[in-house]
Amino acid sequence: MEQPQLKAGPITFSKPSKKVVSRRSSKILKHKLALMGGIFVAVLILLAVFAPLIAPYSPIRQSYAEALKPPSSAHWFGTDTLGRDLFSRIIFGAQVSLKAGLISVGLALLIGVPLGMISGYFRGLWDDLIIMRVTDAMLAFPSLILALTLAAVLGPSLNHAMIAIGLVFTPNFIRLVRGEVLAQREREYVTAAKASGLKNVHIMIRHIFPNILGPIIVQATLNVAAAIIAEASLSYLGLGTQLPTPSWGAMLAEGQGYLQQAPWISIFPGLFIFVAVISINVFGDGIRDWLDPKIK
Amino acid sequence: MLYYIARRLVLMIGILFLVSVLVFVLINVIPGDPATLMLGQEATAGARAALRQSLGLNDPLYIQYLHWVGGVLHGNLGYSLADHTPVMSILLNKIPVTLELTILSFLIAVAIAIPVGIISAIRKGTAWDYVTTVFALSGVSIPAFWLGILLIYLFSVTLGWLPPSGYVSLTDNPVKSIVLMIMPSISLGIRLSAQLTRMLRSSLLEVMEADYIRTGYAKGLMEKAVVFKHALRNAMLPVLTVSGLELSAFLGGAVITETIFAVPGLGQLIVNAILTRDFPIVQGAILFIAFAVVFVNFLVDIAYSLLDPRISLGGASK
Amino acid sequence: MKVKSYFIVLIILILTVTAGCSTSGSKTQSQSQSDKQLVIGLDDDPPQLDPQKSSAAVDRQVFQSIFNTLVDIDKNGKIIPELATSWNISKDGKTYTFNLRKNVKFQDGTAFNADAVKFNFERELNQKFGSPRLSEIGLISQVKVTNPYQVQLVLKQPFSPLLSILTDRSGMMLSPAAVKKEGAGFSNHPVGTGPYKFENRVKQDHITVTAFKDYWGKKPKVQTIVYHPYTDGNVRLTNLTSGSVDLVNTIDYKDINQVKKNPNLKVSEKAAIGFQGLTLNVKRAPLNNVKIRQAINLAIDRNAIARVIFHNGVTPANGPIPTGSWAHDSSIKVPAGDTNVARKLVADSGLKNVQFTLKIPAGSSQNQQLGQMIQSMLKKAGITVKLEQVEFGTMIQQGIDHNFDAINLGWSGRIDPDGTIYSWFATNGSNNDMGYSNPKVDQWLNQARTISARPERAQIYHKVAQQLWKDAPYIALYYPNDFKVMKKNVSGFQHYPDTMIRPESIYFK
Repeated sequence: MEQPQLKAGPITFSKPSKKVVSRRSSKILKHKLALMGGIFVAVLILLAVFAPLIAPYSPIRQSYAEALKPPSSAHWFGTDTLGRDLFSRIIFGAQVSLKAGLISVGLALLIGVPLGMISGYFRGLWDDLIIMRVTDAMLAFPSLILALTLAAVLGPSLNHAMIAIGLVFTPNFIRLVRGEVLAQREREYVTAAKASGLKNVHIMIRHIFPNILGPIIVQATLNVAAAIIAEASLSYLGLGTQLPTPSWGAMLAEGQGYLQQAPWISIFPGLFIFVAVISINVFGDGIRDWLDPKIK
Repeated sequence: MLYYIARRLVLMIGILFLVSVLVFVLINVIPGDPATLMLGQEATAGARAALRQSLGLNDPLYIQYLHWVGGVLHGNLGYSLADHTPVMSILLNKIPVTLELTILSFLIAVAIAIPVGIISAIRKGTAWDYVTTVFALSGVSIPAFWLGILLIYLFSVTLGWLPPSGYVSLTDNPVKSIVLMIMPSISLGIRLSAQLTRMLRSSLLEVMEADYIRTGYAKGLMEKAVVFKHALRNAMLPVLTVSGLELSAFLGGAVITETIFAVPGLGQLIVNAILTRDFPIVQGAILFIAFAVVFVNFLVDIAYSLLDPRISLGGASK
Repeated sequence: MKVKSYFIVLIILILTVTAGCSTSGSKTQSQSQSDKQLVIGLDDDPPQLDPQKSSAAVDRQVFQSIFNTLVDIDKNGKIIPELATSWNISKDGKTYTFNLRKNVKFQDGTAFNADAVKFNFERELNQKFGSPRLSEIGLISQVKVTNPYQVQLVLKQPFSPLLSILTDRSGMMLSPAAVKKEGAGFSNHPVGTGPYKFENRVKQDHITVTAFKDYWGKKPKVQTIVYHPYTDGNVRLTNLTSGSVDLVNTIDYKDINQVKKNPNLKVSEKAAIGFQGLTLNVKRAPLNNVKIRQAINLAIDRNAIARVIFHNGVTPANGPIPTGSWAHDSSIKVPAGDTNVARKLVADSGLKNVQFTLKIPAGSSQNQQLGQMIQSMLKKAGITVKLEQVEFGTMIQQGIDHNFDAINLGWSGRIDPDGTIYSWFATNGSNNDMGYSNPKVDQWLNQARTISARPERAQIYHKVAQQLWKDAPYIALYYPNDFKVMKKNVSGFQHYPDTMIRPESIYFK
């Protein structure tokens, strides 16, 4: 299967050939894809921000006579067990999911990236004895169980769930960043910068950081996705978003039992998680290409 | 190298100590008392007090901790509070289950990720790249438990090809055992394969930009040789990292998937033990997982040094 | 080259694995039928298998096959002989004399006799042992062996619910030899006199029991029973409809209609003995105000709840004693959500901005829906409800500590109404998380224990129900009905009001 692929065509940086034309056009296509991802993310953010204006119904309005109705012109995405309008709930749910994904990963980045850089750049005692050991100890915990335990300790609320998820994701960044910095610090440009007497902090922020941004962004986008799902899992276990605030994860979990009778209850929130995450990822990819000085 | 390994082994003990403290403290600060949960709503306060006393829960925390650690050092992980089964024998029942699921999921993930990752990297920007990118994106975007349910409805309820859930041990009936594991390992493996594909693709791209590959190219080496000999070798680093990172998630974190497919693995064991405050089980299981993860990551670090000669392990830090 | 061959090996591996399954998929389905083994799906994994340590109802589903009780109930809840062939209650109601069945053996060969009975009761009554059953049989002051097959239980005071309590775990007889041999390990190696003996168990996976050759009663037809726990209702149902499970001990209410339509399944429905609702903390504002509690009681539309969430698989409640019980008071009208009366009560209370937090057990969509319905019903009555999902262990603890406003909590109930309500509503009762105390209720509850004639007792329980209606410390919302679902070829199943599966009568057609 893979044999013909490997043989054909040069790699990106090769001399121009007849393939170049198609490659350029696909490059543009790729940018279009990233743009589309960006637009989707923007639309989701707008939906979340203007949810009260857009949603046709209140997300918590119950109407038992309309329970478990399939999608129709009155209820675009159908209704749930309590007769609530799913479209409205999903729009309001975007608030929770986006918030949970962004804030928890933001927290993980804020703690993880500096620690990872310090750890990888200076190595030595701090790295070996403290940061990496605590990181290892945390990584040795299964993440969902650590988050569950933390959330149980802190008590149930969306804020606590975000803190728990953020803390649990932090070691991912420490380890990744450290690994990348380890590879960078031996490179010529770093040695050169050191030789010219630049301060360590300066080298780390101005020289190394831009070079490791790509993998961090890839990892961060993946983690936003994971955070949205983690929030869903915690909400499912009742340790995340509190009722009756709609969260995609909790809606999906609720609809899971009705997959045969009323599949729309879980299909639409599932679909939105899906679309949101794909958009964020494509968008992140675009940023990565744009940031990376080598890929032009 | 020997010095390095010896030092790492010492550090591993340190990590396990940290984990043991962390798990002990965390589980003890969750509100709720094991005696209350064991005796249920109807028990009298006197019965609860008597049970707490007999379980040793009235001792100060550090005494309880030392008591537990003392046992662990003598190879005794303690006994379940609920039914007094040795924790070790409970773990020995669960570990093969989880190991089977983990290995199958990793096999599926790697088998998908490596070819897909390579194709999308060398055919960067082509339709192939898009197809694989979409696959990778979809893989990480589908919540595993949702995928699990969709698989059950498709393959069990609608098509009737696979039994919906359950578990048979490999030694009892190897074929049935693997059959039952297919859907759970797909729902877990897809996500990992998507993650690996992405990491592999981006690191392959980066490596292929690097000077030594350019040089190799300038020397007129065939593309295939370049990719395989240099690029892939270097690109394996992030793959190893991700696998090492994900291991703990597989060993204990596949709770929801385990529940959906009724796989009696470590994840379900731990969550149930947390819910019933069966402390010795939680402690023993987490300590075991920590040991496995630390050990595997140790191997990963050694593999790092073998794959990338630029990373020195000797600690000759400046 | 090396890498390439690595791929090929991997791909071959995957292919073999996938191919292996499609061929054997159909084989596994038919296997369980030919073995004549009965596979029972339970809604939870029994925490442990010692009846005298048991506090989870699901334990008992398994105990029913391994253990016998001194007396049992029939399908209508009437007390019938089991290990005791006859019994006699003294005039003062304080001495129960049991004549025991002869030629009964435990599964380890130990003989069953009066000494064994004495051993069992003394184990349960030992304060240090800390049995959860102690709260039920604590009134026993002495266990006397009057002859090898006769035992007397002497009580501190008359206690009419005793016989019905002995049909439950307190009356189960464990092999004294096995208890001594195994010690705390008995929970993993249970030995009784029942129709099936314990074989093996893998936690969270299965418990296997096989027919006991020397069983004293009618020999069961099914040779092996395997119990599998499936906590997820969808998984349990899927295993019944397209897997190897023959019978499940319960299903989710949302699936009732779907299951009834399935031509391959049989459904047995029976009124159960428990109640579900809201525990209100009567010692904390604003729920220390009786008007607010009454308003809550009247504002909640029980019929809507039964219809929307439970698809009419439950019976709307007017108090803690269920409709199936002889002590139920049907003169109290089930509230239908009277918003106007409730609003007036709130106004009369003199309180403004009435608000409280309702804790609901985490992880159950049924309870989540219930919480949200109550929230919206009470909002119409001018009461603001904040919902808080709490992990079950924490919730029970907060209940005991009285650290809550309101909790969504119920009770599996007992055959005798005393077991259903005494511990909940008597002052300082072990289930009385409300902090409720009413001397009149205490007096009636205790009085009912000393009377054995049912009509008289029923009248007393009606008085209790009327008083609880006025005081409203607990808002009873519904009585769950019990649903057992099985494959069409499962015969001989009998539905008992205590919801326990007695598997010895079951056979395949």
